[in-house]
Amino acid sequence: MIVGASAYAGHAAAKREAPPREQPPWLRDAFPSTYRPLPRSDTLITHATILDGAGHRIEDGEIFLRDGKVAGVGRGLAASAGAVRIDAHGRWVTPGLIDIHSHDGTYVEPLTTEDENSNDISELSDPNAAGTWIETAVNPQDPGFTRALAGGVTALQVLPGSNPIFGGRSVVLKPIPAPTVQQMKFPDAPQGLKMACGENPKSEDVEKNRGPTSRQGEIAFIRKAFADAEQYREDWRAYLAGKDDKPPKDDLNLDTLVAVLEGRIAVHMHCYRSDEMAIMLDLSHELGFRIAAFHHAVEGYKIAPLLVRNGVCAAVWSDWWGFKMEALDGIRENAAFIDAAGGCVTMHSDSPQLGQFLSIEAGKAAAAGRRAGLSLPPEHVIAWVTSNPAKALGLDGRIGSLEAGKDADLVVWSADPFSVYAHADLVFIDGALAYDRADRSRQPSSDFELDRAPMTPE
Amino acid sequence: MTRAALLLAFLVTAWPAAGQVVAIIHAKAFPIAPRDAIDDATLVFEGGQIVSLTAQGAPPPGAQIIDAGGRIVTPGLMNGATQLGLGEVSGASDTQDQAVTTGPLGAAFDVHYALNANSALLSVARADGLTRAMSYPAGAATAPFSGAGALIRLSAGQEILERPRAAVFAEVGDNTLAKAGGSRAAQWVLLRNALTEARHYAEAPKSQGPRDQLLARPDVEALGAVVSGAIPLAITAERQSDIREAISLARDFHIRVVILGGSEAWTEGAALAAAHIPVVLDPEANLPQTFDKLGARLDNAALLAKDGVAIAFSVSGNGIYLSYNAGLDLREGAGLAAANGLPYLDALEALTKRPAEIWGLGDHYGRLAPGYDADIVIWDGDPLEPASAPTAVFVRGERAPLGTRQTRLRDRYAPAHAADPVPPSYR
Repeated sequence: MIVGASAYAGHAAAKREAPPREQPPWLRDAFPSTYRPLPRSDTLITHATILDGAGHRIEDGEIFLRDGKVAGVGRGLAASAGAVRIDAHGRWVTPGLIDIHSHDGTYVEPLTTEDENSNDISELSDPNAAGTWIETAVNPQDPGFTRALAGGVTALQVLPGSNPIFGGRSVVLKPIPAPTVQQMKFPDAPQGLKMACGENPKSEDVEKNRGPTSRQGEIAFIRKAFADAEQYREDWRAYLAGKDDKPPKDDLNLDTLVAVLEGRIAVHMHCYRSDEMAIMLDLSHELGFRIAAFHHAVEGYKIAPLLVRNGVCAAVWSDWWGFKMEALDGIRENAAFIDAAGGCVTMHSDSPQLGQFLSIEAGKAAAAGRRAGLSLPPEHVIAWVTSNPAKALGLDGRIGSLEAGKDADLVVWSADPFSVYAHADLVFIDGALAYDRADRSRQPSSDFELDRAPMTPE
Repeated sequence: MTRAALLLAFLVTAWPAAGQVVAIIHAKAFPIAPRDAIDDATLVFEGGQIVSLTAQGAPPPGAQIIDAGGRIVTPGLMNGATQLGLGEVSGASDTQDQAVTTGPLGAAFDVHYALNANSALLSVARADGLTRAMSYPAGAATAPFSGAGALIRLSAGQEILERPRAAVFAEVGDNTLAKAGGSRAAQWVLLRNALTEARHYAEAPKSQGPRDQLLARPDVEALGAVVSGAIPLAITAERQSDIREAISLARDFHIRVVILGGSEAWTEGAALAAAHIPVVLDPEANLPQTFDKLGARLDNAALLAKDGVAIAFSVSGNGIYLSYNAGLDLREGAGLAAANGLPYLDALEALTKRPAEIWGLGDHYGRLAPGYDADIVIWDGDPLEPASAPTAVFVRGERAPLGTRQTRLRDRYAPAHAADPVPPSYR
């Protein structure tokens, strides 16, 4: 009895100390990044056609990488004497590509019946999985990462799937495989919250006999969840202000939603139809959350000015359409029309296959726009896979364009990067050569791929 | 016959008019066979057939002239395996006809009865330069058969069936293990048994002997054309061991086999070439998506072509490209194959002549040559660049409309209408 009582007292004390009053639970980074850049040398790339991601095209240009940062872009740069020199004559240089919508590490290669039974793409026990962190599931040995790297991707956001309404927290990674996901984690990148509207959540809920079974049910569910989060935030405020002695009981789902309400986590919203996006925008104003991007947004072109007014990006495919009712109205000019309205457009993959060919995706989408009469020069279109996704991820101060002081993430392409014939010859991440098409020792492979006939030719 | 032709001429508002001679001039023409391009070519066609292809030839008097202005002109493209005409919205099963999931049909499942010429998917593919396709069954209940595929042409109007039952399809490997009781060994036993029964049935169809066969009468009958060699058996197979089994099957039963998929076919290129087994492959498939596809790679096409294997393309893209973008992504896939070592002219062949030969159309489609069907595309750029598009598409001499649901939506929501106070639904 006595022992029990003292144990209880001790537990209560510990509970009150952690978390401390200065830091509410939604601010914790439970799995801090341990990423370290690869070994690197200062590098001067010369004679390249440079698309800098900030709207400029520089012919016969140079770019100097020093200490992992872009030190200069232009012509006649003064490089340090010891710098490695790369002649990129006839080749193109762009910022590293950013995939804002990847499932690498959870939609794994290979996918087996084990994944059919239960996979890590989404947590499906409840339509609200806001408290899950996708990084706790990512398998860093998924070959999808090295393939994305070989396609010129230098940062990718892994999102949970779209079957829950609140899918959980996203993570931004660098596609350099390591034994732990923390080693791949982009340092201090903001997390996102995946949310979904439309067919996927409701059909999953019917199947599982659990949450909302209709679009209207999904919206009501979101309202209710954010109302709970408001109350939770009030309880925490009362406790932090010393008005309440007992901290509220930790609730991981509500932690995430409060972080969203506080503007620390932006929402990445899976929606297809224009009417659904408009409803979600109104809802975001009513409840006080910020949507960074609509993902898929196949009908984004129908409401381009609305997206622009709200400062919301659209993460789209170039040409996917038709595979379900809410995707019937996909058109190839979607990206170009949103762009023409002044919107922030980014190509996204959603699949490890497309994740290797994002620049071709942009090339196709731009070609459709040009045929519709829009002027879309390469130096503009490159933003769709570089600076625009950086902006949507809240990383535009660090990556997405080749400007002095930014991280030296860039790709040397064998040709016009929007061409189907182009290869990523060299991929730099933080100034280090992470991939070299001509040098097998500079081509990371996942552990899975080792001695796996017939994967390795010759 | 003349009366029927006249009637057609009145009913069909397609352009050019029947009997009109058309000459495309100043074309950079790829005849496919012979292989080399002809600069400043004149291509003449009449009544649905090509009359001549000559360098700087004078167009016949009275011919309708189309100036290609130096643009590339190729035969209309052919997709080696799609489900065009068999489905509308893959998420809505009531709009899908490409597979039977229950019931007795196996090899006898025959998709041509379901072909829908009004499918919105057809016009999109045609506007991307596709004029022919194999439309094949996605599955049947009787392992390992899927049923019979149909050859279609992407003409405007209702007459899209080129040939029903052009091949019987079967699938082995991890995707369909469950249907064969859980083992690919069972799939091969069932396949071999089916061919044996079909052969016996062909020899003595009216035999009233003891009913000890596994296959129902419609299925053995459907396999008759396979065992006689009239049509090929197309086997979806990805893993090297299954490619090898398919080669053995062709040899043991003296049948024509086509490999569909063939992620690891490059490992058996020489054997496939020696056995004259073509491969309809997905040139974008380079990921180890399953244990059957560990060896998938972007130079599969290049390696097979180097070994002398006849190849054609079918691009899946999570199933989305197979039918929804059956023209555009076929070209993108061919471009990727070319970017990874497949010679350019081989890539063009794999989009035209090769699938025509593999599926039995090689005598009248797939080349720009006299007597061949006037399936012709004028391109605004390199057809292997997915950023390019056709400026004109002819199917058997008839100019096809390039408008689609998508172009209607595009025009309705074009940025120029942004300030229009009237809702788009009035446009």
